[in-house]
Amino acid sequence: MNNDLDCHPATEMINKYVQGSLPTGWNVVLSAHLELCQKCRQEYGDLESAEVLSWSEGPVEEVANDFSDLVANIIQHPQQSAADIPLSQESSITEIHMLDHSFTLPRVLAKAANDGLEWKKLAGGINQAKVNIDTETQCEFIYMSPGSQTPMHRHQGNEITLVLDGSFSDSSGTYEAADFIIRNNNDEHQPVSEEGCLCFAVLDSPLTFTQGLARLFNPINRFKFRKTIARQS
Amino acid sequence: MPDTDHPAVDSSNARSLAPVDPDSDEYLLVETGNSQSSKAFNRLFQRYSSKIYAMGMKLTRNEQLSKDLVQEAMLNVWRKARLYDLDRGTAQSWIFTIARNRCFDMLRKLKRQPNCVTADDIWPQDNGSESALLPEGALHGEQGSLVAEASIIASYCKQLPEPQQAVIEQVYILDRTHDEAAEILKIPLGTLKSRLRLGVAKLRQLIGIDL
Ligand SMILES: [Zn+2]
Repeated sequence: MNNDLDCHPATEMINKYVQGSLPTGWNVVLSAHLELCQKCRQEYGDLESAEVLSWSEGPVEEVANDFSDLVANIIQHPQQSAADIPLSQESSITEIHMLDHSFTLPRVLAKAANDGLEWKKLAGGINQAKVNIDTETQCEFIYMSPGSQTPMHRHQGNEITLVLDGSFSDSSGTYEAADFIIRNNNDEHQPVSEEGCLCFAVLDSPLTFTQGLARLFNPINRFKFRKTIARQS
Repeated sequence: MPDTDHPAVDSSNARSLAPVDPDSDEYLLVETGNSQSSKAFNRLFQRYSSKIYAMGMKLTRNEQLSKDLVQEAMLNVWRKARLYDLDRGTAQSWIFTIARNRCFDMLRKLKRQPNCVTADDIWPQDNGSESALLPEGALHGEQGSLVAEASIIASYCKQLPEPQQAVIEQVYILDRTHDEAAEILKIPLGTLKSRLRLGVAKLRQLIGIDL
């Protein structure tokens, strides 16, 4: 774990995770980090206790509904017993194999990868496997082969990267397993990995890009843009 | 006790682990599960439906969805009541988790999101056993008066049967994950979990009596 940089989610983000108010992709990467990081797991436990307390003491909304039939209806249902529940729901995939390495995945990522991963080779020794988790974020496993280097790039929106195995470096430092890294559109970076690195990354969905240059890449806007230019010339 | 993993805890021990205050949420929840008591469930419903509704309004800002959540969450409380025991923490936090998770799954279904991950995959399941080492008093608001230090627990641990000692040492003292501990001890994950549960129940009882 990287000790010089703060490679953990901020308290505010963990709190939103506790409350259930984050997009699913962000929930997934937080859940995976918590499984790997005892410090944040502890913080999660404390924040959850506080949230439960404020929930149970907080203002209640008056329900303009008569629930009296509901109780009668509910108690008609059979109750579950311990025997009805499997001890743990194991995913069929719990490991990822890349080259001659195999990596054990955190529980939620094993579940997300359960339908199988389709790896795509990108430039510079980078491999990418997208996972369809929700429509608000774009989630993917990234495997950087040993000696790989991504081209210099800038992000639109936010990107969270969780290192699962191996390490990579950029101008800010070196990141190792369990590190949780947030980048936004102010950051320009060029990650390199000497030993190889498996990550899980979550990006804001491209659909949410509404600002700056991104507008120009929207076909309709680009068309309008061209027309404006033509009229001016 | 609904949990069949507890053969070593005889009935007198079980009673010492049961909540005492008959009006506490924990007592009502255990009653709901143990004797399908509609009276106990009714009280829980009265106490929690407006809280769940408020949570729904906060997360969905929609009255109909919030009413659906009350129905969905309280149905789950009824159906799962037999699975609740004090090792899983307070009744409040157990019901909170159910409501939050059901709300999350409801919204995902409504937004037609892919169903590859559910709320139960996303939020930790083993919270109960991790917070299980809280001494009895902490469950009833006497926070801070009884802090179970690792060293104290370690000394109580020696009174447990060897196999239970081994799993507790791996998980609570050496901080290994359940998977790692099962691998090191060369036992199936299910065995590890049930030994852990037994050991923790026994420990709670030892600490509760002695402190
Ligand atoms: Zn952390």
